[in-house]
Amino acid sequence: MVIALGFSMAIMISIPSGIVANQTAAQRLTENYDELIDRMQEEINAALTLIECSPSSGFTFGPMPGPMPGGSENFLDESIISDLESIQGVKDVVPFFEKSEGTNQTVTRFGRTFTFLRPDYTILGVPLTSSLINNYSILPTNIIEGRNLREEDSGVVLLSLNNTGYFGVGIGDEVNILGSDFTVVGVHGASGFREGMMLYMNISDAQKITDLEGKISRLDVYAEDQSYVDGIASTIESEYPELSVTTASERLSRLQNMQDMYEDTLQNAEATISQTQTTAFQEIVIATAASSLIVLFTMLYTTRERTKEIGTLKAIGFSNWNVMSQFMFEGILMSLMAGVVGIVIGYVGAPTITSLLLPHISMFGTQGRPGSFQGYTNPGVPGAPGLQVTTAALDPQLILFAFGLALLLGALGSLYPAWRASRTSPMEALRYE
Amino acid sequence: MSELILKTEGLEKVFKMGGRTIRALSGVNLQVKKSDFISIMGPSGSGKTTLLNMLGCLDKPTHGKVVLDGEDITKVPERRLYKIRRHKIGFIFQTFNLLPYLNAVENVELPMEGTKKSRNERRARARELLKLVGLSEREGHRPHRLSAGEQQRVAIARALANNPALVLADEATGNLDSKSKYEIVRLLGKLNIDQGTTIVMVTHDNHMASHADRMLFLKDGKLLKEEKQGTHFLKKNLMCPKCHSRIQPDDVRCPRCGKKL
Repeated sequence: MVIALGFSMAIMISIPSGIVANQTAAQRLTENYDELIDRMQEEINAALTLIECSPSSGFTFGPMPGPMPGGSENFLDESIISDLESIQGVKDVVPFFEKSEGTNQTVTRFGRTFTFLRPDYTILGVPLTSSLINNYSILPTNIIEGRNLREEDSGVVLLSLNNTGYFGVGIGDEVNILGSDFTVVGVHGASGFREGMMLYMNISDAQKITDLEGKISRLDVYAEDQSYVDGIASTIESEYPELSVTTASERLSRLQNMQDMYEDTLQNAEATISQTQTTAFQEIVIATAASSLIVLFTMLYTTRERTKEIGTLKAIGFSNWNVMSQFMFEGILMSLMAGVVGIVIGYVGAPTITSLLLPHISMFGTQGRPGSFQGYTNPGVPGAPGLQVTTAALDPQLILFAFGLALLLGALGSLYPAWRASRTSPMEALRYE
Repeated sequence: MSELILKTEGLEKVFKMGGRTIRALSGVNLQVKKSDFISIMGPSGSGKTTLLNMLGCLDKPTHGKVVLDGEDITKVPERRLYKIRRHKIGFIFQTFNLLPYLNAVENVELPMEGTKKSRNERRARARELLKLVGLSEREGHRPHRLSAGEQQRVAIARALANNPALVLADEATGNLDSKSKYEIVRLLGKLNIDQGTTIVMVTHDNHMASHADRMLFLKDGKLLKEEKQGTHFLKKNLMCPKCHSRIQPDDVRCPRCGKKL
């Protein structure tokens, strides 16, 4: 009986744990996706006037341009900046210098030999002029320690978390990069495959330490307004065939598709979570009712079986209250024991119980692991937060809740049987066989 | 003259069952003095247990009154009756009615729960009573590990827990073998002599009833006027029940005729 009651209680405490897990995951999902959608919107707005230019032999990855770490790195002459600025309708040209450092690795596949650079870190040189860093998203936004790069900073570096581990340095330390010393002023939190490798510094410092002065890797060209974009793009394509040009419309469509996908995902998840909450509530009500009935019928059976004992107790001087409190105490004790059993079962089996009883959380219209959201990292947007797995688990509050519930159910379930026992006529009870 | 502990006047009990009226007791007048050992005899259905229930505050009469220790218990409200049962009455049942999940000493302690006695005092009193009934060695044993006679002795100790004014024994020897019956009746007699316990014993066993001071007879709900003197009366007055010669309190056998006392 205690085991049966324990199972019932395990359901009651596991479901809230599943709900808590789902809510946590849902909250995280909503926060992440809201942020993602906002950033998409910013990207879209920026994309309206942005033309990305990179050497045509460069190997681009994702919606953001730039050579893949370890891919071939071609450089342009810095003089192209002033040439591009002279095109009608161009508002600003933002040059980037990007170079990965690491060790070369040779891999043989399908009879062919490939040589890859396995990067330890990627130097990203950015122009630290006030007009550019204030108007465009050049620097990372998620600084987790120290400060960001500032206008005209030189001899300083902004590392990623990966970089701090690789170099073994922290804020204020000197770090030697390609033979030159830099002061670490901040740490950014980007954790993607590409962004997690990046250390930011002034573009002139980057050119200097790599012995590539006067060279740049890619350019972002911003038009005065959207009407100039196509004209500027075609001019660049015709005059600079060595450049690969990505126009706004192409990028816009890609970003909008991605934003639509994120919004759909969020709606799916929200709908499923709402359904989960409803089901969970119904299941808790059923489990609570079942537990109360188990206590009630067990105590009714017990008091009936012990009728003669009740008669004896009353004959030797127990008051109605003594008898009632005795049976209430037993009911509560039994319920608390069942609560302990329930906590043990819930502790071990909460994920299984929630998986059996709660609807599966759907993120993309398919069924995911119940009680959790599988980690999902946005593959294309730099710095997009990944979703962490959240598993249903019992926390101390839920255990307290379980004990409180057991106490309440024990008291409620045994109230009527105990009251009935206390009203039993001692004479009748003593005659009971 | 001894103090009157229990008195009934015109006690009547009428039950209505399925449209039939059954008169279980009809005008019972009974007087029990302090330190009396009375047996009430009668055939099955004569109203013995009904009378005992009235005397023990387990049931109320249709008419008449029961005065216990100077208080008319028929007028006491239901909610206060438990106090009278706890402090003034000790019950001994035919089927012992010990709680199976408690050991001997805990069973004896049970009526003292809810009294002003501390836990240690209760335990000490329970041990003292178990010693009195000769079960000191078995205080930790649960009922199923005790013989029927031993269980009844624990029940007797439990009945004495709160030093009641009156002990009511309902067929206390009914479930025992002849040896145990004799032991229990002797124990009740000993308690009556040594402790001055007032005992009313209901039985249909003539031999057991004869061990009391007085034997009363109940028939069809009426107490017969005929009354017999039991052997216990003589023992209590230090006379051999057989030859009526003088005996000493510690004598096991009569020094004159050799009757086992």
